[in-house]
Amino acid sequence: MSEERQSQQTQAGDEFEREPVPQRRLLGFKSFVGMYAGEHCAGTELMIGPLFVAAGVSAFDVVVGLIAGNVLAVLSWVFLCAPIATRARLTLYYQLEKICGRQLVTLYNLANGVMFCFLAGAMVTVSATALGVWFKFPMPELSDNYPNSIGWVIAVLACGAMISVVAAYGYEVVSKVANVAAPWMVLVFIAFGLVGLRQFIDATGSEVNSLTDVWTLAKTHIWQGGDPHPGRVKFTFWHVAFFAWFCNMAMHIGMSDLSVLRFARKSWYAVASGTGMFLGHFLAWLAASILYAFQMHAEPGNTKVLPGPLAYQAAGLAGLICVIIAGWTTANPTIYRAGLAFQAIVPRSSRFRVTLITGAIATVAAMFPALAMRLLDFVALYGLVLMPMGAVVFVDFWLIPKLGLQGSYAELSGRHFNWAAFAAWIVTLAICLGIVFIVGNWTLYFVALPGWFIASAVYIVLSRVYQKQGRPAASL
Amino acid sequence: MRSILKVVSLLSLVALILPSILFLAGRVDLDKAKWIMVLATIIWFVTATGWMWKEPTKVQKDEVVVP
Repeated sequence: MSEERQSQQTQAGDEFEREPVPQRRLLGFKSFVGMYAGEHCAGTELMIGPLFVAAGVSAFDVVVGLIAGNVLAVLSWVFLCAPIATRARLTLYYQLEKICGRQLVTLYNLANGVMFCFLAGAMVTVSATALGVWFKFPMPELSDNYPNSIGWVIAVLACGAMISVVAAYGYEVVSKVANVAAPWMVLVFIAFGLVGLRQFIDATGSEVNSLTDVWTLAKTHIWQGGDPHPGRVKFTFWHVAFFAWFCNMAMHIGMSDLSVLRFARKSWYAVASGTGMFLGHFLAWLAASILYAFQMHAEPGNTKVLPGPLAYQAAGLAGLICVIIAGWTTANPTIYRAGLAFQAIVPRSSRFRVTLITGAIATVAAMFPALAMRLLDFVALYGLVLMPMGAVVFVDFWLIPKLGLQGSYAELSGRHFNWAAFAAWIVTLAICLGIVFIVGNWTLYFVALPGWFIASAVYIVLSRVYQKQGRPAASL
Repeated sequence: MRSILKVVSLLSLVALILPSILFLAGRVDLDKAKWIMVLATIIWFVTATGWMWKEPTKVQKDEVVVP
């Protein structure tokens, strides 16, 4: 087996990487319930909730917007990703290689790896805020872009170094810790919300005897709406709904979860993603935002979004452990897989060294608070960058054969770089980012929707031209 | 032994969430609630490790934790 092929096999595990998952290895519904619940209760949830409050969101907009967005996200898994996953039963990488060719997949890997790296950086930032509670060094403000104290830099370095070294040795142990921690972590997140609610009741002197009273408290004190913090986009219902829908766009519409759902016996098992959405992206976000809103209520001038201190004041040591474990267990696999993505580009490099370098980049990124404090923007960008390839996979699977063209064109023609797919990716990104720069930052949360149609249309049109130029022998 | 560990760990999860519910109901003060939560956390990690410490499944290996 060539080294290049070996590396690609390693890239997404080492079983059934270049063949459909056989019937005997399919998994039941329960496997996906646990996996999705754990996967979406990450350290970054503790940043996202407070950032909604900083964006001036109102109670109706955040609660109903999250429900709508999360339902749309689950439907995207069920109707876009899972039907292809359970029919083809291939990893995204192998499916893309068949469509786009090996060289374009390498480029996709690079984009994916860079995104994972920065995402892991935000998770390291979350863990580092817990150290600030113990060591009392100055921590970043909401508006800070650069590290603001030596203590902060050292804390991030310590967290990042530990996470990177563990990831470099393989993340099996961390996976086991994450497995044990998952149910505990979900309950700690819920406890944050319950404690925060009581603190609001006491601080405002509200009488709460029914759900209507809770809703009144939510509207008048917790998510009051109004102006966002300076320099932030004002979040309405539409912003919240689209953010909740698209924050995992890379996974559902972008098709990354083909690699996961190819093991599902039935495509409807993708509804299991609802556990992750409604535990992580509903309960955890709301709970974290309650803690931040209470901090703002108690100290109006304190706009810092720091999961460590927020968790500590609500749940003490248990809260602090939750922040550290949530950041650690989620940053680890992300750094590990970013390392694998980079290693696929340079197959001869050592995985250990590549993962350490990846961890070092994530750690340096984590020192800059702008990454975590602008997490809403980054997450929207992350989905947008990887989405066009999901559109290419969707079109290639369902539409291209119906239009008299060849699916999996790179495999059939023996080409290593499908220019039609590359152009669909780049043109879509250029148009979407162009809109963001020209019209305004607020469009970043929405452009992915028209972007999906643009990517699909460009891929169909260019495939017609491209496939005419070099029709594969098999189709003659 | 395994079933005892399971029962104790599940009880520790109840002990973890109960103080926050009691605090919400105004039945316990926050400091006491925090201490119970720490204790429940320790018991959970000690006992749950006994039956949940296993190799990640293939599906888990393929996942990347996302926001």
